[in-house]
Amino acid sequence: MARYGMVIDLKRCYGCYSCVMGCKQANRTPPGVFWARVLRGEMGVYPNSVRQALPVLCNQCEEPDCMKVCPTGATYQDDDGIVRVDKDKCIGCKYCMMACPYGARYSVREYTSYFPEGLPISDYEKHCMQVWEEKSGCGVATKCDFCIDRRAEGREPACVQVCPAKARVFGDLDDPESEISYLIKTKRGFVLRPEVGTEPKVYYLPPR
Amino acid sequence: MGSVKMEGQVQVEWRWIIAIYLFLAGVGGGAFLTGVLADIYGGPDWTTVSKIGVFLGMPCVLIGCLFLLLDLGSPINAWRVWMKPKTSWMARGTIIIVLFMIFATIQTAFWVWPFSGSIENARNIVAILGAVFAFLTIIYTGLLLGYNQPIALWRTALLPVLFLVSAVSTGVMAIVFIGQFLEVAETQLALLANIDAMILVFEMFVLVVFLYNAYRTIESRFSAKRILGGAVAPAFWLGVVACGLLIPFFLELFVGEGAAAGLAAVLGLFGGLCLRYTILAGGALDPITAAGFEFARADRRKESMPAMGKVPPS
Repeated sequence: MARYGMVIDLKRCYGCYSCVMGCKQANRTPPGVFWARVLRGEMGVYPNSVRQALPVLCNQCEEPDCMKVCPTGATYQDDDGIVRVDKDKCIGCKYCMMACPYGARYSVREYTSYFPEGLPISDYEKHCMQVWEEKSGCGVATKCDFCIDRRAEGREPACVQVCPAKARVFGDLDDPESEISYLIKTKRGFVLRPEVGTEPKVYYLPPR
Repeated sequence: MGSVKMEGQVQVEWRWIIAIYLFLAGVGGGAFLTGVLADIYGGPDWTTVSKIGVFLGMPCVLIGCLFLLLDLGSPINAWRVWMKPKTSWMARGTIIIVLFMIFATIQTAFWVWPFSGSIENARNIVAILGAVFAFLTIIYTGLLLGYNQPIALWRTALLPVLFLVSAVSTGVMAIVFIGQFLEVAETQLALLANIDAMILVFEMFVLVVFLYNAYRTIESRFSAKRILGGAVAPAFWLGVVACGLLIPFFLELFVGEGAAAGLAAVLGLFGGLCLRYTILAGGALDPITAAGFEFARADRRKESMPAMGKVPPS
């Protein structure tokens, strides 16, 4: 069975937020929900300073804290290691949103429009709302699932496909010949917050 | 790391509603504990005090549970929390509070007419079981918050202790307050107020250690600053320190009876609520570090404008 993971090359990432928009478009997430995000960091003091963008998403941990705190078993791991939420079991206690060391979970009370109040809701927004209700749901925890629908069609996750710098590589960590295994081994891949012991499956390559 | 500018993402998921639950669970559990202790050690003289405490237990926790339901995003599924007790502190906690409410209800029934006095031993056994679950009801919330790895302010063994001390203190205060309107001997209320003053001293000590520890830990320093001088500071200094600790302490110590004790109890209860809110709203997630950079996670509500963390050259 595959064990899906991702590699994000920080040397290539220049912080264009394409992954954020690609994710929003592919998953029709409402305002305030960011399954893919970009964080900004700065090191040093001007003029000797460097800035760095850090794209983050659900790390699909091997030992997910969000699953450990879930009181109903709504959070579960797929056969291929993807951490998912069963919206029919989730009670919306928001415990997982705080327990996630990467802040990858979001929950909305209702699907709101991006446009100001009072404007009529467009047909496409209606469609997006329907898709969101069916797949993720309101009031319950939602998260990235490495674009499960796109993968079923044999396509890569949206954030990987739209990345103009090709900073993201998606693949099978179990396959020693895959590109991501090669990159992690040869380019000193590391994970975020290894100290919490969640064993993330999203690896990063150092910026320098 | 002297010049590190720590900015964390403030947790916005659990706020007043959960604070009210934590407060009510604390009052209910603390009052029940006090009532049972008064019954066991005080004997028949203390029956009224014991009754007040025991009678407060179940309704407080029940109302608190309604607030919990109010906070749920999908309350229609709420029954599922009892299905998987092994999973998390939240699942275990719901079982604990239900058992507490059952024991508290039985204990309440023992004090009511048809059963009263008839089965002393059974009442004591239920009282002790109820006291154990009252204790668990109080401290499990501290463990539940402490399990959150990314929030360093809560990730400490002091949190259950703080909740326990505050719960017992607010429980005693609730008894003193209600005792004003019932036929409780003035000396007993004065003694309870004095005991509460001692508990308040201990609570101050625990709170100081808690905040000192939070400030000294680099990850939770942002949270500590939020509490001591940031957005949560009014709730902390006015609500917790003034209303919750200092004023009740001096009122109980130097006046200790009549309307002063009642006022001290009301202020102290308000302080207990503010303490829960301070702890919850003060919680900020630790920044993520990668390759020497520190990435503060932006507040979710202002996601489009991420905050920045600064790290001096290593």
